[in-house]
Amino acid sequence: MRIPHLKRSAVPAALAAAALLAASACGTTEEGAGDDATTAESGPVSVTDFLDRTVELDAPAAKVVTLEWAETEIAASLGVMPVGAADLEGYNTWVGAAEPMDDTVVDVGTRQEPSVDAIAGLSPDLVIMEPDDEAIIKQIEEFAPVLVVEGSNAADNLARMKRDVDMIAELTGTTAEAEALWTEFEGKIEATTTAIEAAGTGDVPYLYADGWVEGDAISIRPFGPGSLVGSLGTAVGLENAWTGETDAAWGLGGTDVEGMAQYTDTDLKFIYNNSYNDNIFNEKLVGNPIWDGLKFVKDGSMYELPHSVWTFGGPRSSGAVLDYFAEVYAS
Amino acid sequence: MSTVSPPVRPEVAGPAGPRLLPTAAVFTAAVGALLALAALHLTQGTSAVDGGDLLRLLTGSADPAVWNVLEGARLPRLTGAVLTGIALGASGVLLQSVARNPLASPDTLAVNAGAHLAVTAVAAFGLTLPLLSGIGVAFTGALLTAGLVLALSAGGGESATTRLILAGSATAMAANSMVTLLVLLFQEETTGLFAWGSGNLNLAGFGTIAQAAPLVLIAVAVAVIAAPRLDLLRLGDDTASSLGVHVRRVRLIAVVCSLLLAACAVTVAGPIGFVGLAAPVIARQIAVRVPVLLAHRVLIPFSALCGALVIVAADLAVRAVLGAEKSIEVPVGVATTLLGAIVMVWLARSVASGAAEDRPAILHGAAGRSRLGFTLIWIGLAAAAVAALIGGMLAGDTMLLGGDLVNWVAGKTGDSYTWIIDQRYPRVLAAILAGAALACAGAVTQGILRNPLAEPGLLGVTAGAGVGAVALITWVPAAGAWTVTGVAAVGGLGAFALVYALAWRGGLDTSRLVLIGIGVWSFGMAAITLVILASDPWNIPKAMTWLSGTTYGRTADRLIPLAAALVVVLPLIIAHRKEIDLLALDDDTPRVLGVRLERTRLLLLGAAAVLTAAAVAVVGVIGFVGLVAPHLARALVGSRHTRVLPVSILIGVLLVSLSDTLGRTVIAPAQIPAGLVCALIGTPYFIWLLWRTRTRT
Repeated sequence: MRIPHLKRSAVPAALAAAALLAASACGTTEEGAGDDATTAESGPVSVTDFLDRTVELDAPAAKVVTLEWAETEIAASLGVMPVGAADLEGYNTWVGAAEPMDDTVVDVGTRQEPSVDAIAGLSPDLVIMEPDDEAIIKQIEEFAPVLVVEGSNAADNLARMKRDVDMIAELTGTTAEAEALWTEFEGKIEATTTAIEAAGTGDVPYLYADGWVEGDAISIRPFGPGSLVGSLGTAVGLENAWTGETDAAWGLGGTDVEGMAQYTDTDLKFIYNNSYNDNIFNEKLVGNPIWDGLKFVKDGSMYELPHSVWTFGGPRSSGAVLDYFAEVYAS
Repeated sequence: MSTVSPPVRPEVAGPAGPRLLPTAAVFTAAVGALLALAALHLTQGTSAVDGGDLLRLLTGSADPAVWNVLEGARLPRLTGAVLTGIALGASGVLLQSVARNPLASPDTLAVNAGAHLAVTAVAAFGLTLPLLSGIGVAFTGALLTAGLVLALSAGGGESATTRLILAGSATAMAANSMVTLLVLLFQEETTGLFAWGSGNLNLAGFGTIAQAAPLVLIAVAVAVIAAPRLDLLRLGDDTASSLGVHVRRVRLIAVVCSLLLAACAVTVAGPIGFVGLAAPVIARQIAVRVPVLLAHRVLIPFSALCGALVIVAADLAVRAVLGAEKSIEVPVGVATTLLGAIVMVWLARSVASGAAEDRPAILHGAAGRSRLGFTLIWIGLAAAAVAALIGGMLAGDTMLLGGDLVNWVAGKTGDSYTWIIDQRYPRVLAAILAGAALACAGAVTQGILRNPLAEPGLLGVTAGAGVGAVALITWVPAAGAWTVTGVAAVGGLGAFALVYALAWRGGLDTSRLVLIGIGVWSFGMAAITLVILASDPWNIPKAMTWLSGTTYGRTADRLIPLAAALVVVLPLIIAHRKEIDLLALDDDTPRVLGVRLERTRLLLLGAAAVLTAAAVAVVGVIGFVGLVAPHLARALVGSRHTRVLPVSILIGVLLVSLSDTLGRTVIAPAQIPAGLVCALIGTPYFIWLLWRTRTRT
């Protein structure tokens, strides 16, 4: 192998220069530690979180950082605008309709790998996350208490959502707001149930799905009865048509267009998410003989969920889903 | 020729009569098998339609919905499988003939990876393409990477096989890193591409199939027309020329056909791995027993048929084992890669390098550097490594200044800065320690295997360690740092032992070792993909760690096993630095000088494997460091390991540390995994390196 003829003095000289340059990066960007006088507005608060950790705060948290959209939404719904939240741009696109963010909220990175740097820089009183961020609990706990909420549980998603809301409310001193929020949500369930009963269409089951496409390959993701959407449907007395296998946390199934063949003669209302604008259900599948042969396709019984309604969100997002159920069943 | 080659049969154009019979018999059997598998394939699917329904369809008594299921899902899937199989089988056999090398394939020459990268880039940047241009984009990508690989591996002489496959594998690795980066940066636009990276047959229509099919047929037809000249090429370029064959033109035609075929396959179903390697090999194995098949005009269609058989059988098997619904998340490409990698290992076992390759592959352009020069370089690099440490501590989502660090050391920083630095230093240290371990392991491996392109990643050690770690974390999520390191070490050593044992045939041939290593590496990465897709398909951080390497979320306690491994293993390696010098010469010199060759070799390679595994347990599967750092070190200070080891360790530290800092900084607060940045920094250097060594004959 031939080796390039580097100028002998060039390499050491360059390295030395680089070293000098680095050494000069002195000075500080902050003042030293000052007095840390936090006055407790009310007494200490404590909850046992989803991972059975006891989270205790001397006072309810005012500066909250949320690492998943659902918790961002819940905190805001309780009147606690987060100081930092993961993937703000995505939040505004997918969730924002139900609970918009203030301009003051700082983006702390992606939901998959939030920046611990950015979180620490905000000196939060509390960081709220779901269990998939478990790997960084230890790091964050070095500087701020961490509350882990469940996020989703296909066994009973509404009770799970109440537990999550209550935990966040307890630690942010907003239990009264949580009660009001939940009453509002239950009111929504009642109103939707009434609206569907009034329309007299409640016997028709619904199927809710999203999907993704690569070239001609199309995968469909049906939301089972255990998903948040599924739980909302059940709460207002509707029947979910998806009976296939789903995962234990999110209640989501997986299938392809052939998996839809079971609904060939079924009377149902098909609600789909087209937030990615990939037009799977309204364009890409048109022309496929299985799809074209489905009763709900032939009947035109297809409904596109409004954009920016988050199907894995908190009570306000769930309220928007319920509103859409009412609209679909009134039509 | 340094590889197994089929017996040369120049007299292909013999009397047609008696030879038609065996050809017809073999083709009938193969088509029969394909039809049988296809019939079984049609009975699988996510709806209730079963074999009985299909039979009733034949007798005309079935529900019309059964026909819809066939037409809307099962036939597109089957046709897609058969078409991509034909394309890849033919593409592979053409590449193998042109390269005169049974290890050449769309996978090992980075053709699939290039096509996939082009398609992903177009999807990520949101460009919509008019008719046919999808195939055009894939073809362009394939052309660029294949051109690069072929240019890089030209002039390898006796070591042609190893150079070709190494150039291809490294290029494929780099292309795949870029695909991952695009998926990461443009997640919304490329949803699902992560799984598609392994090839996916959930086709819901004949759209792209209809576009690709005519091109596939034309390419196969052109190749068959050129077949008699390809037969003559077997005699060698000079003989073929003297027989009136325009050698370059024939080669060009064959390569263009091959790339077009691969591009069509990638456009239809994504990069379905290793079919283009396995199918022609199977075809040739049968052809050796029925020699009339060896003529290219028969071999090309036969290999295409074998390709179709491989994909249909693999898809059938995946769905039979996992069920139709689960296999939507676990693409068929993973299964074909597992199978193809085994075929590759088996093939590589019979590789024996020519005598010429046994000379030291590593020469010393800077051997004459004076002691002063070495000292200056060493001090410079050490200073740069310290600067990288400090830079890594200062840079990130929140930019700090030196005084903040001084305050931190003195315990005088304010709360938020204390927290930021407290959580940042384990990541900085992880990058530094992993860089040192991987670079040291690379320097040892390259020296001992006498191959400047060998590194723990390409030898399967990294992937083996990754398989161990990811399997443990998936099934025992609570496992601690020591356990993860231990299991990673077991996986890494296991992979290494496997590679070593398979390559051992009355002696260790380094070419064989490296080629088998690449096979095991491919198998390991496919196994990691399988574990992640089957257990946790939406967990991006997990996938990032185990498919590209990152320091995200690392805490100080997880670094202890790696630090311990360095403390124990480094002195051992340094104590043997003179033996590495001897082993890097040839097999005879160390023997003459009284070195116990096999024992020393095994000890040192084992030490390298332990270092690699310890690094993998902390930062995941980071490639390129062990490849690049030792090279740069030799370029700077010559090839004596007394000098190479410390210098390459420092360069490794610099490389990983810099990659990590950049990954944490450039798109903050979002982050790019260090392993991807490493690959992106390492690739240009690696390509340049191959280019520089290209004319060495």
